[in-house]
Order: sequence, then structure tokens, then C-alpha cells
Amino acid sequence: MVEAAAIDRPLRDFNPWPAVIVVCLVCLAVLFLAPTLGVLLSSVKTTRDIAFGELWTIPDTLFLGNFGEVIANPAVHRYILNTILVTVPATAASIALGVFAGYVFSKLPFRGSDVLFLILVSGMFFPPQVILIPLFRLFNTMGLIDTLWPIIIVHTALGIPICTLLMRNFFATVPNALREAAILEGANEWQVLMRVALPLSLPAIAVLATLQFTWIWNDFLWPLIFTNSDEKRTIMIGIVNLKGQYSVAWGVQGALSLIASIPTLIVFLFFQRYFIKGMTMGAVKG
Amino acid sequence: MADLRLENVSKRFGDVQVINGVDFEAKHGEFVVFVGPSGCGKSTLLRLITGLEETGGGRIFIGGADVTGMKPSKRGVAMVFQSYALFPHMTVEDNIGFGLRLAKLPKEEIGRRVAEAARILQIEDLLERKPRQLSGGQRQRVAIGRSIIRDPKVFLFDEPLSNLDAALRVQMRLEIARLHKRLGATMIYVTHDQTEAMTLADRIVVINRGRIEQVGSPIDLYNHPANRFVSGFIGSPAMNFIDVNEHGPENCTTLGAGPASIELAGCQVAGATAIGIRPEHLELAGPEDGDFPATVEIIEKLGAESLVYLQFDGSELPLTMRTSPEHSLCAGETVHVRFNKDRIHFFDRDGKILNRP
Repeated sequence: MVEAAAIDRPLRDFNPWPAVIVVCLVCLAVLFLAPTLGVLLSSVKTTRDIAFGELWTIPDTLFLGNFGEVIANPAVHRYILNTILVTVPATAASIALGVFAGYVFSKLPFRGSDVLFLILVSGMFFPPQVILIPLFRLFNTMGLIDTLWPIIIVHTALGIPICTLLMRNFFATVPNALREAAILEGANEWQVLMRVALPLSLPAIAVLATLQFTWIWNDFLWPLIFTNSDEKRTIMIGIVNLKGQYSVAWGVQGALSLIASIPTLIVFLFFQRYFIKGMTMGAVKG
Repeated sequence: MADLRLENVSKRFGDVQVINGVDFEAKHGEFVVFVGPSGCGKSTLLRLITGLEETGGGRIFIGGADVTGMKPSKRGVAMVFQSYALFPHMTVEDNIGFGLRLAKLPKEEIGRRVAEAARILQIEDLLERKPRQLSGGQRQRVAIGRSIIRDPKVFLFDEPLSNLDAALRVQMRLEIARLHKRLGATMIYVTHDQTEAMTLADRIVVINRGRIEQVGSPIDLYNHPANRFVSGFIGSPAMNFIDVNEHGPENCTTLGAGPASIELAGCQVAGATAIGIRPEHLELAGPEDGDFPATVEIIEKLGAESLVYLQFDGSELPLTMRTSPEHSLCAGETVHVRFNKDRIHFFDRDGKILNRP
């Protein structure tokens, strides 16, 4: 009787919520994946096919001409080079500054450091539109418009709050005894940071490297504001610029979009081992 | 010459005076144990010696030199941390040789000294491992290895055995004692475990509320404590304390109040408000020659001896008596107990000892 009751109970207490949640998640997943699928499909079709409204059909043959055209285009090479020239230094600089600031806030606190930390972190909540015009005027005065410098500087500055927050919280998990042991062994603060704290913080740095690289690589706003000429455009602006004389070259744009996604994908795959660890750090007692 | 000398050292954290004018000297080759309850300031004192905390006042001398304002690494001290503080991303070899690499010593020299430290601590086969691959005892050895390789003037140990299980603690205690004998170095060891203090120390420094209560050899502290705090802290099980009834008859000490009071004839010290007696100085007696009757509450049979906890109306706390395991006592039984009157400690109102039993 007891067993029968146990078997009957789930039928009587049918809970529709898991099913509803699954349906909602599937709908969301489809909505999120549809644009990616559209880009993928358009990249392997001719402009003619797309113009005939066959964007969403599975093609009989794969047309790779769009990729060939993108790869052979010297402007694309320049876009990619410009994007690398912006992304790599800005990622490295923002992480480096975040590491230094985070270490000081975590291990070398001083009077008022908590308030300073809050002010620094509050920078994350400033919408970029608020500072857009002042920054444009500033860089215009400095004669840096239509160079890559403003993009590098702005991305470095905007990355400091999140980098500092994450690194400060990670360094807080590194026991003070390790720093003290290193100091007793003759290390100065720089050596403690470089030889002890930093090697233990690779998961946090991997998370930051992935996030910063992706944000800066994919950024559209700042390059659009600070650059005018095609020679200084980054790849996201370049995608928009790649259009035919009379119509939008959907196929070519789709191909370039996919090519433009490869570096961020590589960075994520390279760091993903640390990324998952970094995202869950501090969640449970280790 | 003293390897370590503290002159009126003090430290304050905000409004709290943690260390209160400490004066102390450790001779060369001495094993000194700082012991006291949690929060008494013993670890802070150690950190002041290392330089990890700045002194609020006073001076610290190591090897005759004033090191008060000196950087920790220049003081000639090495410390073994409670948590071992091994660098998790480095191998045992790199951990031990970390300080020498920072000092940019030649690789051959570092290798030779790491091998020597590993040989002394019998961890030669662990050199390639990371700390997470080691047991607690092995980690402890590596932490000690990191300290001995620098050949410091003074070794400092901050509760190094508190993370180990009981059996390993006994083993490591012996190893530290052997290491001290072998190196002949000055060692300062902090613990709250008075058994560790008694077994390891040449001299014990009992600290309470940031002050030194008493300094002396383990046996001296055990037999001749300076005050009630030291009497209660040194010795396991702790000394029994019973309040003196000040309204009792003259020429004898009356313990407890009312009908259950004990009168110790011919045994009196003026001004005493409490007595203390160690568990081994209470003994079973017959109804005629016993000083007081008590009820057996619990018996702990430890094999070589038994600890008997006695309920006695004149004292709120149970009295502990150490007896031979051959006595067959049962819980609830009434027994007669006799004081060894030569070993009674008398304390005044401030806890200061009034006699030298």
C-alpha cells in the first residue's frame, strides 16, 4: 500500500512549472540562436539567393565565395590589425592596473581605501553616453581623433573598475600568511605580487582576459565616435562598411561577422578551463 | 649574550592595549615557549619580534643588535606559521629555496642547502611535490625546512602543531625537540597548549592580557606558580581552587561555608582568600584521617592513572583527584579525601601567592 501510494503521488501532484520553464528556455534559446544561424546561413549563400528571400532555407551547396572575398580584401586586414592594436594593449593595461589596484585594496589597505574603492567601482555604473561628448572634445583638443589612442585609453579606463573589483576580491582569498611568509623570506611587495599572489590568481586573470578581450573586440560605439577614416576603423565598424554600391552585401557581411568572432572564441576556449573556475570562485569553501 | 631581548615592548590596536610593557630575554640556544589563553597577545608578541607588526613602544634586540625599526627579512628570524603558509603553486624544493632565490644565491648553493635541509627533515623524496600532495605532518616539515635553510639567529613557531591530529602532534613535538637539540638554535614557540609548553620548553613565559605573568622552567612554574592564573593554567588537569571562609575559627583554614566546610587545623596563612591544590595532592583516606567527605561524580580511567571528579558541597566546581587505577571507585560513592597539607598553595584577594609550598 505504501509503495502504491508513493507511485501514485507524483501523478496526483503534477507540477506544471518545470515544463513551463523548459518551454520558456527553449523559446529563449531559439531567439538567441536565430541571428547567429541567420548570419551563418547568409555567409554561405550568394547575394542573389538572399535577395530572392531564401535566407532561412538550408542551401543545397555551400557557397564559400563570401569568405574568399573577405579574406582577399585588404581593408579587412587593416580592420583586423586595428582591432588587435586596440584590444591587446587595452586588455593588458586594464588588467594590469586592476591587479595593482586590487592588490593594494586587498593587502595594503590605508585610511580611506574602502571609500576610494567604492568610488572606483562605481565607475562601472556610468553609462558611456554620459561621458561621450566630453571625451570626444577632450581627444579632439589633444588632436587624437581618428587615431587608435582614444579607443585604447577609454577601454583601459572603463575596464579598471571591473578589473579592480574582481582582483581585489580574488586577492582577498589569498591568505595573508603567504604574503607574510614571503616578506620574511626577503620579498618586497612587488615580489610578493609577482611571485606569490599573481600565480595564485590565474583563474581571475583568465576571467578578466576573456571578458575584456570580448568587450573591446566587439565594441562598436567608441571606434565609431573616435575614428573617421577607413584606415583607422576596427572590425565591427568594418562589417557595417562592407556593403555594395547599390545594396547591402549580406553574404560578405555574414562571412566577416563569423571571421570577426573567431578571435574571441579562441580566447574563450584558451581560458575556459580557468574561466569556469574563476566564475565559481568563492562560491563554496575550498 | 642574549639572542633575543625585549625592552618594555608594547602594542595597541585602536583602544585595546594588546601588549603591555613586556621585558624578556632569551639566551642563545634556549627553547622558550610563550603560553597563554587565546587572545592573550602571545602571537602578537611573536609578530612584533618578526617585524610583521610595528611596535607601539619599546625596543627589540636580536643577536645584540637593535632591530626595532628593521625590515622583517633583515632581522635574522625565521617563522613557521600556524597554517604552514606554503606557496601552493610551488614545489617543495621551490618553497624551501624561495628565500635563497630571492637573495639571488647561485643555483648550486641553493640546491646544496635545500638538499641539506631536506636531509635533516627526511623529506628528500618529497622535493618535487606540490604542498597539496603532502600530509599535514609533511607540510609541517617543509615549513620548518623553509625556516632552517636561512640559518636564522632565532626561530619562531606560531602554534605550529595546532592543525595536526593528536597522534601526529606528539610525533612532531618530538621532532621539533630533536631539531632544537641538533641545531642548538634559539627557538621561540607560541602555543596555547600547556602540555606542549611543558614538554618542549627550557623556559616557559606565561602571558595573560598582554603581560608576562611568570617566566621559569616548566617544573618551577608547576611547583612554584607566582599567582592563581599561572597555577590554573599550568598543569593538566588544572589545579583545584577552593575559597577560604574568612569567618572561620582562628589557627586553622576553613574552606567552604556552612556545615560542609573543611577545617584544616594548624595550616593557616594570613590574608588568604583561596587555596589551590593539584589533583595529585588529594588522596583517598579513611573516615578518621580524611579531611572531608565527597561524592564521586565521574571517573576517567586513563590506564596508568585515574582522574576522579568529586562533588563537595563547599565548592561549586568539582574537585579533581589523581589516583592509582587500582582503587575501585564507583560513581555516586562517598569517599573520604585528605589534603597533602605541605602542598597547599594560598592566594590573596588579588590572586597573588602567599606561600612557597
